[in-house]
Amino acid sequence: MFRHRNDRGLKWLLSGVALICGSLVIGIVGFLLVEAWPVFSSGQIFAFFSDGAWQPGSDREPQFGITPMLLASLAVTLLATALAVPPGILAAIFQIYYSPKWLATFQDRAMELLAGVPSIIFGFWGLTVIVPIINQIRPPGQSLLAGGIVLGLMILPTVSLTTRAALQAIDRSLVYGGAALGLSRPRQIFSIALPAARSGILSGCMLAMTRAIGETMAVVMVCGNIAKIPHSIFDPVRPVTSTIALEMGYATEGHRSLLYAAGFVLVVLTGFLLLLRRREPVL
Amino acid sequence: MAAVLSVGALLWIVLDLVKMGTSQIDWEFLTSGVEESGRAGGIGPVIKSTLLILMCCLLVAIPFGVGCAFWITEMVSPGSRLTAWLTRSVDLLASIPSIVFGLFGMAFFCRILGLGFSILSGGLTLACMILPILIRTTLAAVQSLPPDLRLSATAMGLRKSTILSRVLLPRAFPGILIGFTIGVARALSETAALIFTSGYATRSPASLLDSGRSISVHIFDMAMNVPNGATRASASALVLLLVILMINYLANYFSDQWLKKVN
Amino acid sequence: MAQESELAAISVRNLSIQYGDFAALQNVNLDIPRNQISALVGPSGCGKSSFLNSLNRLTDLIPGCRVKGEVIFQTQNLTDSKHDVLSLRRQIGMVFQKPNPFPQSIRRNFEIPLREHGFSKKECRDRMVEALTQVGLWEEVSDRLEKGAANLSGGQQQRLCIARALALEPEVILFDEPCSALDPIASAVVEDLIVSLRERVTVVIVTHNLAQARRIADQLSVFWVRDGSGTIVESGDAGEIFQSPSDPDALNYLCGARG
Repeated sequence: MFRHRNDRGLKWLLSGVALICGSLVIGIVGFLLVEAWPVFSSGQIFAFFSDGAWQPGSDREPQFGITPMLLASLAVTLLATALAVPPGILAAIFQIYYSPKWLATFQDRAMELLAGVPSIIFGFWGLTVIVPIINQIRPPGQSLLAGGIVLGLMILPTVSLTTRAALQAIDRSLVYGGAALGLSRPRQIFSIALPAARSGILSGCMLAMTRAIGETMAVVMVCGNIAKIPHSIFDPVRPVTSTIALEMGYATEGHRSLLYAAGFVLVVLTGFLLLLRRREPVL
Repeated sequence: MAAVLSVGALLWIVLDLVKMGTSQIDWEFLTSGVEESGRAGGIGPVIKSTLLILMCCLLVAIPFGVGCAFWITEMVSPGSRLTAWLTRSVDLLASIPSIVFGLFGMAFFCRILGLGFSILSGGLTLACMILPILIRTTLAAVQSLPPDLRLSATAMGLRKSTILSRVLLPRAFPGILIGFTIGVARALSETAALIFTSGYATRSPASLLDSGRSISVHIFDMAMNVPNGATRASASALVLLLVILMINYLANYFSDQWLKKVN
Repeated sequence: MAQESELAAISVRNLSIQYGDFAALQNVNLDIPRNQISALVGPSGCGKSSFLNSLNRLTDLIPGCRVKGEVIFQTQNLTDSKHDVLSLRRQIGMVFQKPNPFPQSIRRNFEIPLREHGFSKKECRDRMVEALTQVGLWEEVSDRLEKGAANLSGGQQQRLCIARALALEPEVILFDEPCSALDPIASAVVEDLIVSLRERVTVVIVTHNLAQARRIADQLSVFWVRDGSGTIVESGDAGEIFQSPSDPDALNYLCGARG
């Protein structure tokens, strides 16, 4: 009767697997909190946001301000988004409404390829190509701008691919309707198609920002890693992710907890972007 | 023009790598050990560590990812609270930055489970990271199957396990393969999550509990910490890029073949 | 009652089907006689398919669907949640509107269900040949058993599905509009096939094609919507009902189609 055994075993197995998968994220956030607990319990959390500088290793007067890094993260992300979104959207529009079929296919492949290039390679390329160029304009080269350019290139395919998907998903008859009213092609696209696809495009941009803010290796390599509030786009900066990557290797006790707290801040940031993304289609 | 710009940038990156890297790559480079922090010798042990890390990662992530997706499609009714909870936590998991996975892996696998800086810790950390990719792609593949497939199988009195393994899985396979590819590509290119979980060691790993550097960590180390490492680093970068392209190509090829065979 | 259930392959008593708050079917009583063709007709959305699905518990697959009442098959009540649905579905086969062979080879289409129900490879082969011969498909496909079933024409696919159901040697086969997705010629072939099945199995068929019902049905049941949910308004010998339906709605429906 073995053959006619019920599916109970399978059900338990899959349920167990699903439970573990679903709990993983809770486990990860929980671990961050446990590891970061000393920061919260000792009241350092206030220093975390109020101190103007980051010198956790200093014996005499340690300072724990995450603000410069947080600002750096946001600045690099916003710069990257500003650089990537216009060309990303334009590329998608070109691909759908203007380019001949062979070129569109080629562009598809290229975008997928670009999306698959490891971030470490973007970082490496930024370090060996972009940084020297910026260095000639204004030293030292490793800067907010370099980070923005490299991240921008990195998230470009995300913006372009999601925009394309959003544009393809809108009802074709909308655009035909516009054409029937005698609107010009650009008018059809910018007044009808883009607004209709707005929520999809925005959600793609949020996704791109999530990638940018969480990126570590590329920014470690090109941003210069100096934990100060930047005054121009040529200043070197150090985003939160870089700080964790650079200091985790030698951090001890209290310092370690600070880095875990920084990790927690990152999760909160990306979680917030996720919430925005989720709410968008409802609007 | 925008399209040209983005495609141009891609070509720029690839051509740069090819220009700097090609002259360095030969069989010797791929097989011999790392010497003088990478300025001489090759990347043999690095490739070995990378493959071992990848293997650990996939061995754990694939059963969990596919199992979890099948649980959602087969075991609970759609739209139930459990499904909502699970999809939400998978979304959140997917949005967590890789460095945070590194932090988690270091605390959980390395210290609490006592695995230390090892290939196993790195692989498990990566498994957590690519899990959402596998779950989502498998889910998409299974959900896009025609519903009457499941209906007719059920009407013949097949058990769920048979329906899954004999009817649904073969059909969903190409989709799962795509998820597998994306997962492999992500795992191969990941650096941040590995620095603190599988470490920097350049010697050839003797067991899964040894530390070993993956190829992306190697590129990072060469570019940042080794003076004059850039040319050798670009050779490694080129190898990585070629491998990823090849995996993409193979996956496309095999899923085409599979679809042809099935139909 | 005992006498009745001896004659009837399936007896349905007070059956109601609910989807959430919506009652799709209410208070249905029907005896489905052995080795006859029972046709279920009526307008769309009056619960015919729900009724059919409740006979082999496919309603289990629909979230929020509840079935009340009794469906007696071989002296057991099928709506009992403890009933072994897997062996039930082996005894009560089903063929759907759209032909749905597994998108694998023709041989696999038989092997998957037969192996599941415990037959050896040899028996699988024998039963496959027998079933394919019965549906008149053996000559057509014997040289391409390893080829994909998706390459067959629509009518061939539907006959394959019928053969696949027959191979399990069921007592009853449920047909859910089996001809409506086929062209007229293929439809005629499948219809003749269904008629020829009457000798070995009990057939329950949902159809929108009244001409077809008139040609093949021994028993006829007319479904109609009453008070917002479906029920049977007229049921009995097919010839008599087509001659003189007593229910006014059934009369309109059958005559409207006649005119």
